[in-house]
Amino acid sequence: MLPEAAVLLVLVAAAVLFALVFAPATASRRGLLVQGGAGLAATAAIAAVPAFDLALLIILALGAVHAAIPGVRPFAVRLRAPVLAVAVLALGLMLVRVEGPDVLERFAAVGLVAGMAAAVGLLPYIHPFAPDEAVASSPLPWIAFVGPVLAAVVVSRAEVLLSVDAGQAFAAMLIGLGVVNMAWGSIATWLTDDTAAAWRYSFLADWGLVLCGFGLTLADGPRAALLVLFGIVAGRLPLYLVWREPRAEQATREGPFNLLVAALLAGSAPFVGFAARVLLLRGATQLFWPLALVLALGMLLWLPGSLRLGRSMGIPRGRRALGVALVVAVNVAVGLYPLPLLQAAHL
Amino acid sequence: MAAFAAWLGASTVVLADGRRGLALGLALATTALAAIVWPEAGPAAAAVLGLGGLAAAARRLVVGTAGWGIMPPGSTPRFILCIGGGLLALWIALGVTSGHSSALRFAVLTVAGLSGARALSSEEPAVLLTAVVLLALAVSAAGGLAEGSPAIWTYLLAAALAAGVGWLPLSRPRAA
Repeated sequence: MLPEAAVLLVLVAAAVLFALVFAPATASRRGLLVQGGAGLAATAAIAAVPAFDLALLIILALGAVHAAIPGVRPFAVRLRAPVLAVAVLALGLMLVRVEGPDVLERFAAVGLVAGMAAAVGLLPYIHPFAPDEAVASSPLPWIAFVGPVLAAVVVSRAEVLLSVDAGQAFAAMLIGLGVVNMAWGSIATWLTDDTAAAWRYSFLADWGLVLCGFGLTLADGPRAALLVLFGIVAGRLPLYLVWREPRAEQATREGPFNLLVAALLAGSAPFVGFAARVLLLRGATQLFWPLALVLALGMLLWLPGSLRLGRSMGIPRGRRALGVALVVAVNVAVGLYPLPLLQAAHL
Repeated sequence: MAAFAAWLGASTVVLADGRRGLALGLALATTALAAIVWPEAGPAAAAVLGLGGLAAAARRLVVGTAGWGIMPPGSTPRFILCIGGGLLALWIALGVTSGHSSALRFAVLTVAGLSGARALSSEEPAVLLTAVVLLALAVSAAGGLAEGSPAIWTYLLAAALAAGVGWLPLSRPRAA
């Protein structure tokens, strides 16, 4: 198994555990365990299978099962994106395997990038979102649970399958798509009316950084991508789960606690997002300095949206407070000393 | 001949709304894909693929909108998609690409492309699940384009997915 995917898999398992421990007392632990366990098993299978075709079939099966979970959105709406993703990835894979002109490999690269974006739920294949839908049946499992491992697998497979020329086109598309997701996600987090939608857009913005990291062909790129993915799975996702919990007081607050959460979400020092941003800017500067300028400007857009999300947390009490404290501690620890995580992923 | 049958089967799935039409298209495409993968992957893989697809077709025959429903009013864009997609796939499979089996290239292109397009154009769960089955079969058949002998696991997983996906318990969307 790819070391990077194995690390992400451990993080995903920890996220399931977090959901089980910190879920509201009224929530069905058995349901959470079954749904989370099935998702975890499928995600592990995507990372572990030896052939890419098998991974595509598992994504398809996972998409069908996920769409069948009772939810607010119709079955067809939920199944479309995974089916489209697998169809596009399969066509891309086919174009890599057949003999023909070099331009075919570039089309294959388009297929792999487009398929990954459709599966994870990034722009322009953004999954329809119902703010009141339960987390398990919403698009969040794709963007924050299955997506990190899936993206690591697709990118690693693409590096093996594509030629140098097509690989460069693949990397350029990832960076382009990443910048679009960064800008759109962070601005939408700031300006959208609904707070649940704002949380969802904030995941998109983080994914923009991930795509840019994967697109940078230097060592700093994948390192930054892994740290941002850590921030998504072990930071943003648990905080979102805590925010989703029903509570008596829904009012927003702007105390020290809310500023701390906003700092975590914005990728400020000493949280893990800061280390990721430093690596990303260093890699972009070495590769093509105007890109670093664009990324730096894009990173500033995180601030207003993160302040909004931080305020939306209110003042957590009891178990919710413990969950947030745990998330903050883990993100500070990895932000200050990310080396063990990077070494575990062989980066 | 088998590649043409695969296109015809996938096109029938695109053009049909009734369960009989969907089952017929699925059975046709399955039989054609099994015949195409036989020379490269062997009889076991072809049999597994065929059994999975035909089991899915049998399930589809009893679940979904009753009747054939082939080319209902308003299906002209779908018809154009089938013809246009088939011609484009034929050009890519015969004129642009080379190596391996041209029938396999054409079948994978048409079945994967048309099933993906079908999934985007319908709200009916039975239609979408039929598209999922077709796509699974196409993905496993595409394994034959890889270097070396394709592993049986891909065909087994695709067959299991095809046979099992029709039994998923589907619930109506509920209000928030």
